[in-house]
Amino acid sequence: MSVRALWIISHEKGENVSVRFSRRFATVEHRAKSLAGSSYIAVPEENTVLQLLLTELGLSDSEKSYVALRDDCLHRQRSPAMELRVDGPGKGTLWPVLAISQGPLILACLPLVDAPAEPRPPLASLLSVSQGLTLLAGLQTFLLGSGGKPDSEGLASRLAMLPAILLQVCPLGSPLDVPILGAPATPTVPIPAGNQKQPVWKTGLHRGRAVVNVALIETVRSMQYGNRSRQDLWDVYGTVTCKVRHPGSSLCHLTASSVDNYDGSAFSGPYKFPFSPPLEPFRLCSYTSQVPVPPILGSYRLKEEENQLHVSVTLKLHESVKNSFEYCEAHLPFFNRDQMGVVDVKVSSGQLDVSKEKNLLIWALGQKFPKSREVTMEGKISFSGPTPGPTDSLCTELTAYIKRGGWAVKGQAALASVLATKGSSFRAGRSPCPPPHHHQSVPPPPFDPDPALSTSG
Amino acid sequence: MMAVNWAERISAFSRSPSRFLSGTTAEAFLAELLRELRDDRAAYSVKVLLLSPLCEHPALLCPSDSVGEETALELMSVFAQCPPKSVQFRCHLLLALTSVLVCTSCVSGRSRASQDFLNLLLQIAEDTIDLHGDGAARSVRATACDCLRELEACSPGLLSQRLELLGGLRQREASRIHQAYAALHTLVLRNAVYQLTQQTGAGAEHLKALLGGNTSVAWEAEQDCSLMNDKDSAILSSLILGPMGTVPTLQTGPDCKELRSVLSSLLEDSYLLTPLCQAALLHRLTEVVSMVPGVPPAVFRAQLLRLLGTSEVCLLHTTLLMKCAFTDSLFSAEDEAFILKRLVVLSQHPLLSTPEKLFYMDCILHFPENRPISCGDGDETLPVLLTPRLASALVPTVFNDSATMLARFNLLSLVYLEEGVEGEGEGSRGLAYLYEHLTSLLDIVQSGGSREIIVTFFRAAFLFLFYFCQVERYSSGLTEKLCKLYLCHTYLAPHLINLADQTQDRLTESSWAVGLLKALQVVITKAPLAQLTLQDLSQHLKMLTRVAEEGEIPQTSTLNFLSSIITPSSSSLSGDWRLGNSLLGVCRRLLVHPSLDSLLLPLADILQHLTCHYGNTDIQDHARLYYTLLTTLSREKLAGVLTQGLTEGGRQVKKRSLSAIMAEGEGLTSMLTIHRVEKAIFRLIEAGCEPRGEPQTEKGSDLTLNETESSPVEANVALETYRAQFEDPNFASEVILDYLLTHMEAIDPHFSQLFSIRLHFNPTDNHYEELSDISVPCLFRERQPPKVRLRLKPRRPYPTTLHASAIFTTQDGLSWHTVLPDIHVAFQQAFMSPPAPPAWGRGDKRTLFEGLWDEISSEGGLNDPADCATSLFCCQLKEAALIALVKKHFLSYLISDLSDEEEFKVLFYLPPLSHILLKIRTEEDAVHFNIATDNWQLLPHISSYLLTITSLQEDADG
Repeated sequence: MSVRALWIISHEKGENVSVRFSRRFATVEHRAKSLAGSSYIAVPEENTVLQLLLTELGLSDSEKSYVALRDDCLHRQRSPAMELRVDGPGKGTLWPVLAISQGPLILACLPLVDAPAEPRPPLASLLSVSQGLTLLAGLQTFLLGSGGKPDSEGLASRLAMLPAILLQVCPLGSPLDVPILGAPATPTVPIPAGNQKQPVWKTGLHRGRAVVNVALIETVRSMQYGNRSRQDLWDVYGTVTCKVRHPGSSLCHLTASSVDNYDGSAFSGPYKFPFSPPLEPFRLCSYTSQVPVPPILGSYRLKEEENQLHVSVTLKLHESVKNSFEYCEAHLPFFNRDQMGVVDVKVSSGQLDVSKEKNLLIWALGQKFPKSREVTMEGKISFSGPTPGPTDSLCTELTAYIKRGGWAVKGQAALASVLATKGSSFRAGRSPCPPPHHHQSVPPPPFDPDPALSTSG
Repeated sequence: MMAVNWAERISAFSRSPSRFLSGTTAEAFLAELLRELRDDRAAYSVKVLLLSPLCEHPALLCPSDSVGEETALELMSVFAQCPPKSVQFRCHLLLALTSVLVCTSCVSGRSRASQDFLNLLLQIAEDTIDLHGDGAARSVRATACDCLRELEACSPGLLSQRLELLGGLRQREASRIHQAYAALHTLVLRNAVYQLTQQTGAGAEHLKALLGGNTSVAWEAEQDCSLMNDKDSAILSSLILGPMGTVPTLQTGPDCKELRSVLSSLLEDSYLLTPLCQAALLHRLTEVVSMVPGVPPAVFRAQLLRLLGTSEVCLLHTTLLMKCAFTDSLFSAEDEAFILKRLVVLSQHPLLSTPEKLFYMDCILHFPENRPISCGDGDETLPVLLTPRLASALVPTVFNDSATMLARFNLLSLVYLEEGVEGEGEGSRGLAYLYEHLTSLLDIVQSGGSREIIVTFFRAAFLFLFYFCQVERYSSGLTEKLCKLYLCHTYLAPHLINLADQTQDRLTESSWAVGLLKALQVVITKAPLAQLTLQDLSQHLKMLTRVAEEGEIPQTSTLNFLSSIITPSSSSLSGDWRLGNSLLGVCRRLLVHPSLDSLLLPLADILQHLTCHYGNTDIQDHARLYYTLLTTLSREKLAGVLTQGLTEGGRQVKKRSLSAIMAEGEGLTSMLTIHRVEKAIFRLIEAGCEPRGEPQTEKGSDLTLNETESSPVEANVALETYRAQFEDPNFASEVILDYLLTHMEAIDPHFSQLFSIRLHFNPTDNHYEELSDISVPCLFRERQPPKVRLRLKPRRPYPTTLHASAIFTTQDGLSWHTVLPDIHVAFQQAFMSPPAPPAWGRGDKRTLFEGLWDEISSEGGLNDPADCATSLFCCQLKEAALIALVKKHFLSYLISDLSDEEEFKVLFYLPPLSHILLKIRTEEDAVHFNIATDNWQLLPHISSYLLTITSLQEDADG
């Protein structure tokens, strides 16, 4: 249940790679040695680990199209654990190396194998693996924030805080906690000493008015064929984040039930949960769901003529959706083409922004759709710029998609309606008694492997 | 200034300790660190930094236990002097101390310092009075608990005796650091119970005593545990290892109130801990309960509702491990179905990170079933409850990232394989979907996908073949699509070759790989040459090289292709070295192809064409070499020479030949270069002690044995006849020496069978002519050593030394060069009987002797008188000894009768034209050796020779 070493690496698409932070846990290494006996492989020095890790992640030798060590078809990354094949003296395989990678950062650690080394135990039998994953994810969130893209100064200052952070969350290689995000909530008083034990995930007590903030982020992914013979596909998922300022140490109560129709299990509820929220914002629950219709129906047609692209888009807001937004945008990216030249496109409603260097059209629809609930875009784009635009392996030729850039729904009402319609139950990240987290999910039919995201005219 | 310096130094150390320490020594660096740590002027922020080398590499800085011990004592004194407000530093000091003591085995050896440190930690942990009330002391206390836990983890049983104390501390602590106490208490409990299971006869009473801190019950844990953890790392290992893992048990009977109450108190408070600590605590308690059958697993039931609903990966994981340990004694069939469903949902939840989802998928494939069917040997198996319908949530799509996609592909392949892929069932439909998915990926690659997509596609293709290559309709379809893909994107050649290699290796009974290669050969050789770019051609040649490795695939079309691309009309090749090398690569494989006989002529034509017309000398040379090999060596030999280089190191060579440009020559180079052996492998020893010096030219040598007594001729006539023979300069000009070629003792068995040995000799002086080389067909350690005859042609018959070396071949066909020990040719080895004419009898020789003697004594005759000399050698020898000496050394050269003991006459002939004559008489005082020679320069040698043999004879007599 410990990790032997931890590395934090920054890179820019495989270039300018450097180890920004590393920590070895000598006592865990000592245990690893006695556990593995003769099959013990020592953790090599930083640079070696870095090279092996990049190879394993497919980031090394990016100028070569094929490197046996990196691209062997037998080499499957089907579990999150990687093997680092250490050469030279102390030759052998370092396993299981966990790595998570987001933006410019790669975080990696080597969990202790507290089981006989031969034959190699299944990953699922090592608790240190899930502990390592949690630690890495926690550090990643701390370093990158939930947005995922810090400036380099912010990153450097957070990296500088790591020694102090690790003293709290992983002093001797056994992860105890994940770093707490942001400043501690104010104003707080320490919990008075008494017989009642204080939850570790609650730093103090709130003084002042009771406030509850709830935020919901929901994403709808949809594939629409515009073809009667093919069923449109979509799925919905979301997260409910709460910030609870609740005076004193009394408990909140939360009622939850499942409306999952085909789940007749004992976990359907309803349940009433006593619940002491932490002071920081926390993820109350995540869910996946199916709604009867996609909120926006769209049709997107592309036709290519003499290096000009004819674009034709229609978006229709479903009647059941309230026609009021904080903002609503549609993004139309174009890939594998030269940069945009002349853009001659008209929209029936809203405004169009053209980002030529990104080959992106941003259609700002404003706060509501027109009365007809239908908007259209029509026009021609030429791609005659001097440099090639962004690339994508899926969106080749006339394959393209529309992404809703942002669509925030105002107010509490929406949340209430979501809660009511989904009946999603809740789970508190750090709460004492989270109810069963339940994903209502009808396994979707297989996605079409060759989706016509856009039908060519 | 100093601070910057230290920050840089510490980071340099941590980047590469070995490089850092190459500039200084561990000892010096440690001393520096300790000095700075004691320095009052240094800032505590810097001091925290200074501790990190000790935390991370204690064993490197403290190479021995005694250094560790001293360092620990130093650090403890620093701790004692450190003001309480430097919390960070105090905490880091405790961590450094723990690391140093654990990693230098001071803890397992129960050293003084480690006992002191243990007491210090316990003291901190017990001291709950927070003077300043700012929580500073609390942080140090928490760290002390962490250190105690680590000491216990590394030296299990260390704190078993303090179990009750630790339990009490945990219960009393209400602040947030009760978590640290709980973790410590749980681990100590787990290790103490484990130790009890290892003691014969331990039971409920012992357990009770342990928990009650009643050490009066005899329990000799103190010495036991140190023994145990040195020998046995099992206690360090998790006890929950799947259906096959065995857990040691403690028989207590149903009544173990005390343990139950400890467990329930720990469990009740468990929700207060962070998810990570909860997971660890639950895992430890799972181990405890599985070791004590007296406690029912139902103690965990109250936690299950919370655990099953968690979104924390470590909490769900610990629940799975609990299920693995307790199966249906804690989890109902309904629970099992729920957990599996939850795993499936989590495996594809869009909000989870990819590693988490992959981990959940791994958990599905190692799902701890209540009634496991397989023996859980670590292989992936599908849970029975995972139906195709449930698994359909995990079908791979082109939108997945590649790791997720491959994991899903693997999982679904297993699901459909289980269902059966023939007929109309779900398995068959699923397989159709997977194939369709694979072709979508192929389409993306076809339309110019990124490197990542390409690699992913080939991995997916491998998985597909791995599970379904027996399904003809798909596997042959895939072959066809791959061929089309290759023609559009020839840069995929290495990927395709890799796919062929791996499927051939892993699917030994399938011929899919050969089929693919055959099909690729067809598309390459049929494609119109007109559009061929240089790039394509070089990829085609790589491909054809791989195709030519398959003995089953006919190579005629490959040869036609080669000859069509090298003909002058289509020659854009000019003289590109790489391309030439690729061409030769194909030829090289063809040279060892089993159907070589039918390829011989066209292949020879191609090689000859390359030799004469290719615009690069190196390629021409290589082609010439291949051509020569092809036309001169027998097939077996050719195969022997070439395959060796090819298969050496297995697949690796094959791979290397794809990436390394020089590879084509490499295998051959090792075959054609001569390797050097440092040590001598064999040597020449003198063959027996048969009489030497009868040169073959002396036909009449036999006659000397016949006592034919013809009428003596006149001395000068005899001399004339004798000398006339020497008009032929080659007459009796060689000294012939016989040797045996034998292995040296103790040589590498690799060299025990040697072939085609060619011995080469180098004279060290110019007294002898150069020798010609000698060939020995073979040398086997276990057989009779072969005879080697050296023919030395002296210019001056002096003793000499010859350097000898040899080139030979080992059984694996490699050639070697070795040096033999020097060969010393002694003076007497050049002695021969005078090469008398065949018709001569004994009397004639006597006449010759007398004639020569007179001539030398009279300082006249044919020889240059300046060269003639007489001398006298005297020594003390008894008569018998003298006779023995003559018999032993002079018998073959004796002119007088052996019976004539008054005077022995001995005549040595030394090629090319020298004679030494001895008249040996016993005088009153000594034995006189009268010496006459026609080459005075031999005098020192003969006298040293006589001295040697006579002194030896004296010794023998004495």
